[in-house]
Amino acid sequence: MAEETLITAGKAKTGGRTLTPYFFVLPAGIVMIAGLLYPVADAFYLSFYDWKIGTKFAKAEFVGFDNYIRMFSDPDVRESIWVTFRFGFWTILIEMIVGVSLALLLEKPIRGASLFRTIFILPLMVSPVVVGLIWRYLFDARVGWINYYLGYLGIEPQVWLGDAELAFFAIVFTDIWQWTPFIFIIVIAGLQALPSEVLEASRIDGANWWQQIFLVKLPMIRSILLIALLMRLIDVFRALEVMYILTGGGPGRATELLSLHIYNRAFDAQLLGYASAISVLLISIVFLLSLGILVVGNPMKEKSDI
Amino acid sequence: MKQWFGKAAALSVAAAVGLTAMSGALLANPYEKYKGTTIVVSWPALSHFKAAETLVEEFTEETGIEVEIDALQYLKLRDRQILEMSRDEGEYDIVSWVVMWKGEYVSKGLLTPLSQFFTNGALVDPQYDIDDIADAYLQNGGIVGGTKGYMPGKSGALYGVPFGAETSILAYRTDVFEELGLEPPKTYDELVSVSKMIKEKKGMGALTSRGKTGHQVTAAWLLHLAPLGGKIFDDEWNPVINSPEAVKAAEVLRTVSNTGPTGIPSYGFSEMSAAFLQGDAAMYLDSLKIAAMSRNPKLSKVDGKVGFALHPVGSRCGSETGGFAMGIPANSLNKEAAFLFVQYMTSKAGDKRMVELGGDPIRLSTLNHPEFVKQFPEYPVVAEQLPCADPDWRPLIPEWNELNIDVLGQALTKVITTDGPIQPIMDEANEKARAIMAREGYYAWSDYRK
Repeated sequence: MAEETLITAGKAKTGGRTLTPYFFVLPAGIVMIAGLLYPVADAFYLSFYDWKIGTKFAKAEFVGFDNYIRMFSDPDVRESIWVTFRFGFWTILIEMIVGVSLALLLEKPIRGASLFRTIFILPLMVSPVVVGLIWRYLFDARVGWINYYLGYLGIEPQVWLGDAELAFFAIVFTDIWQWTPFIFIIVIAGLQALPSEVLEASRIDGANWWQQIFLVKLPMIRSILLIALLMRLIDVFRALEVMYILTGGGPGRATELLSLHIYNRAFDAQLLGYASAISVLLISIVFLLSLGILVVGNPMKEKSDI
Repeated sequence: MKQWFGKAAALSVAAAVGLTAMSGALLANPYEKYKGTTIVVSWPALSHFKAAETLVEEFTEETGIEVEIDALQYLKLRDRQILEMSRDEGEYDIVSWVVMWKGEYVSKGLLTPLSQFFTNGALVDPQYDIDDIADAYLQNGGIVGGTKGYMPGKSGALYGVPFGAETSILAYRTDVFEELGLEPPKTYDELVSVSKMIKEKKGMGALTSRGKTGHQVTAAWLLHLAPLGGKIFDDEWNPVINSPEAVKAAEVLRTVSNTGPTGIPSYGFSEMSAAFLQGDAAMYLDSLKIAAMSRNPKLSKVDGKVGFALHPVGSRCGSETGGFAMGIPANSLNKEAAFLFVQYMTSKAGDKRMVELGGDPIRLSTLNHPEFVKQFPEYPVVAEQLPCADPDWRPLIPEWNELNIDVLGQALTKVITTDGPIQPIMDEANEKARAIMAREGYYAWSDYRK
């Protein structure tokens, strides 16, 4: 009898021990489910319906895969994806180059480095809505500063936000202005954490400045660069506020990123089911891209090797 | 027993006398019954409604009905109102809608027909005189269910009263026109030639215009469509936005964009009006709101140099019908008090008071009031313009949103930002419009008859 009790107690103990870790991740799990899985699942569910705001959802018509079929044959959606990829390509490329270069320049303790660093990260602290407004006034065709100063150079006033190519340039430029500091901060933190022994060793081995950067420093912060790239890539697909205020997606669909396209479809045209279907596409694209980058070079894996 | 009976009789007589006295008090003041009620009003944060706040305070003082105002940016208004009105018990007792939304609201069963109140003699002020309200405004903002569902017609019913309604007029810089020896354009041919001349001779923008992708550029095109004889749909719901008239309207829009102030393809209403008010454009053709704006020293550098004229005429006269109307949600809990509010704000006295406070009138008696005519030079123009206000200015159907923003808003951007032929752009838009209408089942009858 006593023996039996002991055994049961032992069993319970083992069972408890295996459950403990799950118990600790439970709060995080709940937050994940409530904040992430539920909305995504709901969007997925909604994408099979034709629902109009203001009517009871019970009255919404089930349309099966109609929204998806329409989406894949919709040239506007394709154009929006194309705009998003072009936007992502140019902004991330330039932000990486400029951000990394600035970090390499300001890494050394030169005079006033901390002042420069503070100035460089200022744009990051401005709320996207304000960024949108500031640049909207700067790019304004009639009263904007940019046209005003270009006038001194004898350049005709340009309709920055009303011409397809100029407007695309404007949103790329604004994004670079705001997000280069993000790359800059991450990279400079990585550079300063590099072990000085390795750099010293390479110098003794006769590496010049270029070789030190391209063969030693950058490869050593590779995982940090990848994380920065990944975060920017996801940001590109989430970007909305700045373009919403700057151009509203126009002229035409020249600056209508996929997220803005979803917003316009959902709330301007009131096509909620259809907008949900496009959201599902957006999630899939971001998911695949993130997965791709992680497969190519998992920064976590590298860390576990050390 | 007898005593008890006597007591009861005495009591009931007393009660009856008391009741009569009370109902006598009710008849003395139609508002008495609703004293202390709080009604919630949802309307846009625009100048007319800002001005109305003083009148709302006066309403509370006079009637004892408390009013809470929920003023929102007008583009956010619809989502909020629809959400509130689709609940079982809504917050709002009065909603103010852009005329474009009325069909959607009624088809979703969100509004109360006003006949419910106009049949109640205790509520309706016999001096209200609904015929004094400009017909175009009342039909456009308030009547739903007539011809095609949104135009005047026998099957229509009244759901709202215009408040903050508007039509379009031409405003021009008297100094510029005098300097160049020009007359304000009366026809579309004159408008086009005057525009080119101003750009050439003076180097300044001729006619300012909206042009931002989406509903803004469509609104600019609509201003030219009706006078030039165009429409969005024929009588069978076939889109006719590639008709010669519609293409001509797009051509005019392109000319306007090319001869106007710099940046029209990026202008919304505020940028467009600012270009005129800051002296960068010689003409303005849009909502009559420009008149009050041009007198506001905070907004305008051209006060005293602005003249007003009728919307130029093409093959017919036609001007915008737009702005707001207000009515009562189906799920309001204080409908009668809400009706009293609507009646008060749009009464003859209320309308005059609105003008004194800086708002826009809806009544002919106000527009023709001798004192106001002296004070506001645009009033005679507006009074003359109103009979031309086109009830079919744009189709006020739920699908209009998608047509307006997704189809026309895109096509017309292409018109003003490129130089190619216009016909193919409008042909393509017409096909897209047809597909939307087919999807929503508008051709079921014509298919069935085949």
